[in-house]
Parts: sequence; structure tokens; C-alpha cells
Amino acid sequence: MLNRVALFLACALALSTAEAIELGDGVQAHGFLSQSLVYTSGNRVGGNSDDGLAIDMREIGGNLSWRPNADWLLSGQVLARWAGESDGGDLRLDYGFIDRTLLADGDTSVGLRLGKIKNPYGFYNTTRDVAHTRPGIIMPQSIYMDRARNFWLAAPGVSLYGNHENPGGNLSWQVSALQPEVDDPDLTYFMTGKNFGRFAGEHSWLGQAMLETVGGRWRAGLSLGQMAMQYRPGAGDDLEPGDTRLPTWVLSVEHNMEFWSLTAEYGQTKVLSRNYGATPHAISIEQDNTTEAWYVQATRRMGNGWQGFLRYDVFYFDKKDRDGTSFAASSAYTLPARMRFAKDWSFGVRRDVGRWAWSGEWHHVDGTAWLSPTDTPTRASVRKWDLLLLQGAWYF
Amino acid sequence: MRLYGWFLLMIFSLHAVAVDVVVNRGVPGTSLAQASARALFGMRLTKWPDGRPVQIFVLPDGHPVHAAMCKEQLNIYPYQLRQAWDRLVYSGLAQAPIEVSTEEEMISRVATTPGALGYVRKVKPNDPVKVFYVE
Repeated sequence: MLNRVALFLACALALSTAEAIELGDGVQAHGFLSQSLVYTSGNRVGGNSDDGLAIDMREIGGNLSWRPNADWLLSGQVLARWAGESDGGDLRLDYGFIDRTLLADGDTSVGLRLGKIKNPYGFYNTTRDVAHTRPGIIMPQSIYMDRARNFWLAAPGVSLYGNHENPGGNLSWQVSALQPEVDDPDLTYFMTGKNFGRFAGEHSWLGQAMLETVGGRWRAGLSLGQMAMQYRPGAGDDLEPGDTRLPTWVLSVEHNMEFWSLTAEYGQTKVLSRNYGATPHAISIEQDNTTEAWYVQATRRMGNGWQGFLRYDVFYFDKKDRDGTSFAASSAYTLPARMRFAKDWSFGVRRDVGRWAWSGEWHHVDGTAWLSPTDTPTRASVRKWDLLLLQGAWYF
Repeated sequence: MRLYGWFLLMIFSLHAVAVDVVVNRGVPGTSLAQASARALFGMRLTKWPDGRPVQIFVLPDGHPVHAAMCKEQLNIYPYQLRQAWDRLVYSGLAQAPIEVSTEEEMISRVATTPGALGYVRKVKPNDPVKVFYVE
């Protein structure tokens, strides 16, 4: 295992002087990789982190784009991600689409994208697997929960977008019709508390509008959509082929100053499930609930490539049962209340040196809502825990 | 006397542009609205008003002329431009600007690339590029 990590880092170092590669005729190539070390005081993140240091969190990816002329753009990116039991490093198409500018009239442009497109959800979702673009080593889990990442990650579909510039700032927007890629064991756990069947995406939509004042001093955005999917029961399942819809919205606000950035996002997602059957398990799934997620983060740039952040990140599965006690009392499987919330204080530092970003961050978490049960079985989890992450990331 | 000095300093500061925005000589016009300049350098706008494609050249993030251009000409912090590029480039929505390492290279690439837009500290009289005024 250590050999694999060493090889990975050696390759990275060998490449470390590369810049974005221009391949001529409007073709560009970019790439990125990261390796993390994880230590937890209890519970598991990214592998066996409760027994010592887990080294199985890493990402590697690359993209190609071709702009044959000003109106057309072809883009594709592949990546592999390792994150404990839930992501084993399978190479996957992250996005791949064709983009046609329909109108470019001075300061207004409108266009269409067709293919597999990253879903615009909050400030950071579209580049969530590219380490140096994240606001920390791990994403704020309330809004960008890795357990539920496949709801929002990227999806085949069609998207209409526009951008409008004026002296006071700019407005960009995007509306997509898509079919979410939700066939993922983590997601099945997330939705049903078990891992028998699987989900299949249905017709869904997602839109985002983002306003920026001059020079991006203030940025504010609203992401709005509804994801839909159908359950396909597995062998020995006590659930029937039910339907789930997830109407969702996220409000995002950021204030950028020379040395400080203040970021806050707040979102709610309704979970509406029907036709899962008449078993106690099915009835518990069909109880509508609304999740509540928010975080605030202050980032300070200190010069010489150094920056630091402080973040408070909160997630509730059910905003009417924030401490999870009603859930625990009524649960068909006597599940613990702690799995219904997570309140996470974190702070971190980062140093950028050329195209390398070196980071360290510490989390103190109350609750286990965003832990993957494939890594940490629910009943074996502890309520209050600490998480230390170290990461080296490189990009070109 | 002192007041006069301050006044001169103020006038001087208002007009002191340490960085020139330059374009390929084939690009028509002489000036650019600041909102358009931000959109072009932010890779949100890919065409000149006459429909020709734009090619952006930049100096490295840490270069003092890059920092001066961001603040003086675009009224934006360099980190914001980097974040905007990364958001677009790693989600496939746009291509990155082409990075050159020196101002000499900037002049020669802008001079030889149709539709090119870049910047240098100060254009010399016989540099084969056109200065654009950002308003």
C-alpha cells in the first residue's frame, strides 16, 4: 500500500513543473491529483482511520477541451477517486459535453450544452473532486455531503445557460434537464438505511442563478431543482419499487476582500417517498422530512501563499427533529439519534507553492449524519469525534 | 504649496496606469469597457464584438504586473481571477488563458496571435501591439 502511495507521489513530483498544456489548434489539457492522510479519534473516514493513519484518500484526473472556433467547445474529464469503502478508484467520466454558443451580443451570451454536465449546486459542487478548488480538504459536508454526492455530482442531460455583464456586475444562469446517476451503494444506504436494492435516475431538473457585484466583491446565488429517482429492490428486500423526489434549494453568499473571504450557504431538501410498500421499514421511509444544511466560513489570506480558515457546518436530516430523538424512538431498527445530525467545527491552513497546495485541517464533530455506513457501521459509531486531515494536491 | 503638491499627487494617481492592456493589431477599436475587460479576462466572454475569437494571455499569478493589472485595470483581486478560472476549467465550461512567463514573451505572443488580449507594464514605442484603454 505504501509503495502505491510512494509511486503516486513520485509520478506527481516528476510532473510538477508542468503547466496547462496547449496542444495547438484550440486544444488544452489540464490535470490534478491529491493524496490525503486521515486520522480520526473514533469512526472511520477514508479507510481505517480509527486504527491509525488512513492513506486511502486520493484523487487523480485529467481533462481535454477543444475550441474549434468561438462558438463551439468540446470538453471531457476523467477521474479516479479513492475514499474508503465507498469509492475504490474506478476510472469514470466526470463530464463530457458539447457546448454551442447561440448568442454572443457584446456583453450578453447564451448557449446550450449537451452531454454529461457537472451539476451547478451551490458555489463548489462542479469542481468538488478537484482538491485545490475546494474550500478545505473535505467539502462542507452539510451542503456537499459525500454520502449523497451522486444526487448532485454530474448527470447526462441538456443545459441552457447565459451570462450578462453590466457596469455594476454580472449575472450568470443555467437551467438543466437531467437524469441523475444514483446507482450507488452509499446512496442506497443514505435513503433506505440498508443496501439491498439500487436507485435509478428519473427526469429531473436543476437551475442556478449567480449574481456578482463589480469584481466579485459580493457573490450571491440560488440553486433550485428537483431530483427524481426510482427504487429497484434487491433480493430479500422488504421494500417495493418506490419513487423518491427531492425538491431542493441552496442559497449561497460570499463577500470577498483582499485578505478575507466570508462564505455562507444554506439549503433545504425535501425527501418525498411513495410506493415503497407496507412493511414498517417502508412506512418509515415514506415519512416525509426536510433536511436542513448550512455552514459559514471565514478564510484569511496571509501572504506568501499561506491561508487559513474557520468553519462551522451543520446538517439535520429532519429540521423538525434536529436532535434525532423522535427518529430514534420510532425507528423500526432501533437506530441511534446521533445519525440524524452533524455539527462540525473545523479550522485549517493551506500553503500554495507554485502548482502545489499543502493543507492540514482539524474537525471536531458532534453527530454522525455524514459518515458513510459502508465505512462506519451505524451502531459502531461514536457521537463526538475528531478528524485530522493532511493533504498534498497538485494541478496543471 | 503643500496643498498644490497633494493636488498634483491626486491628479497623478488618478491617471497613473502602471499597466497597459494590449491587443493584437488586427483587433478593431481603441478601448474596452471595464465590465467587458473583466468578462474577457474572466473567460466568460470568448468573442470580440465583431465575432472574432479572443485569445487571452496572462503572466503567472505571483507576477507583480499580473497583480497590478488585476487591481488597476479590472478592479479585482488576483485570487478571484484564479478561482473563477479554476471553476470553469475543471468543470469544462471554458478554457484557461495561456500563461506566458515574461513580458517579452507576452508582447511577441500577442503580436503574432489573431484576436489576442494581454498586458504589460509599459508598452515601448516600437512594440508590435496596440494599447487598449480600459474605461
